[in-house]
Amino acid sequence: MYEGIRSPAIHTPRSVSEFISTASHYPHAVIWAGGTYIMGRPNYYPSDGLTDIIYLGEIADLKKITRNDRFIEIGSMVTASQLLNAGKLVLSDVLLDTLSKVGSKIVRKQITIGGALCTPDIRLVLPGSLAILDAIVEVKQIQGNKTINRWIPVSRLYDKDGQLLLTGMNLITRVRIGLETGNFQRFMMVDSPVHDPKRCVIFAFQCTKGQSNMSKAHFCFTFPTAGFHISRELETQLSGQPLPVPPQRINRLSFALTSEIHKMHPQVTDLQLERCRRMFEAVFHELNTEVLEE
Amino acid sequence: MKIECTIDGKHLSLSVNSNKPLSLILMEEAGNQSLNSRCRGNNCGNCIVLLNGEAVLSCMIPAFRLRGADIKTFDSFQKTRACHDIERAYAATGSKPCPNCYAAKTLIIESILQGLERPDDSQPFPLPARGRVQNLTEELDPENIIQELELNRCRCMDSAELLQIVNIAAGYRRRRRVRRN
Repeated sequence: MYEGIRSPAIHTPRSVSEFISTASHYPHAVIWAGGTYIMGRPNYYPSDGLTDIIYLGEIADLKKITRNDRFIEIGSMVTASQLLNAGKLVLSDVLLDTLSKVGSKIVRKQITIGGALCTPDIRLVLPGSLAILDAIVEVKQIQGNKTINRWIPVSRLYDKDGQLLLTGMNLITRVRIGLETGNFQRFMMVDSPVHDPKRCVIFAFQCTKGQSNMSKAHFCFTFPTAGFHISRELETQLSGQPLPVPPQRINRLSFALTSEIHKMHPQVTDLQLERCRRMFEAVFHELNTEVLEE
Repeated sequence: MKIECTIDGKHLSLSVNSNKPLSLILMEEAGNQSLNSRCRGNNCGNCIVLLNGEAVLSCMIPAFRLRGADIKTFDSFQKTRACHDIERAYAATGSKPCPNCYAAKTLIIESILQGLERPDDSQPFPLPARGRVQNLTEELDPENIIQELELNRCRCMDSAELLQIVNIAAGYRRRRRVRRN
């Protein structure tokens, strides 16, 4: 049935340095983390395109979670399930909420953090939440015999349309997340980014809620195949905003947001725009409720 | 690529393409009858098997990850006592999945029940430290269970029926464990 289909060669490095040497020998090899994205492609098998696979599952250094008093570092091969099990001691609410909404437990065991950040043409749930937490990733870029090591903020890994900006042979080794986060965090998702990418909207929000005003507001809207939206201008407008936020102000901000998204991401559908306006308003109403309850 | 693994208790040596999905290996090389999946990784949720005791979507597991693996499909699982608990729950509620998704839904329910018994491995289903097994039915979180069951996209049963089945099966499992202890 599959005569003539070449079986790809599997390389299983056991350390990052071994990976670098393998990757420089096979620059066109596919880097395999959890495999959920690659195997979900419609033309995955049988396919002639795959000639070499570098499987990262044997690199122990990529499976570590470490924490100090300033930040937590997560290896790129840590699975969503392992990270969720690390629990509240190491993760912020928004990240816990995000991870618990990634597929089901069966799929979470296979999804890796690095893999979830590196899908080339679709943005899934994790990048938005990591971006608002100001997470940075360590990227090892392999250029022939040279390796360039860089720390890049998650928000700069993608262009405005959500396309991955890393080109060539790159390896994300660690994700570093600061422990200083806002005291009001929300994660919302409508529809599945895998099954309904044209309808799905993912929203992550955090701010520091003070006695009378809010500060350090960060938010990110992800439209799986249409955009990755962080509005620095609106974030600045929100920081310093007196609390509770009057409904008219929320209304004005949400319309400003949707018109900005419409202008910057023409592929975002009207349904997604309407959903993102409602989600944005819902988060502010929740914030107001919490403030008034206090 | 040559891989040696155990499928439904039979030790097999297979010569397959290194990236061939387990679902296709089971259907084409091992002649498995219970697997009913052609979605090719599109998450229909019909191809669930137990890989080293843990439920996985077999369309997401490539051949190169199967060296020395122990794979259990519904063909062998249906002969176990664990499956009998779930089948008794189907009978007690008077509803069961359609033939298309029967194997997959049963294995997902088994995975939920296993998660309840191993709380360290299953943070989405938290249990108190004391009397973990005894408190199975009280501690079921409907939202998480529905999220798990939605992995199978066949809509032959509604969430309430499935929740009831999981509750009853957890009760049977609990009683069996209590008797054994």
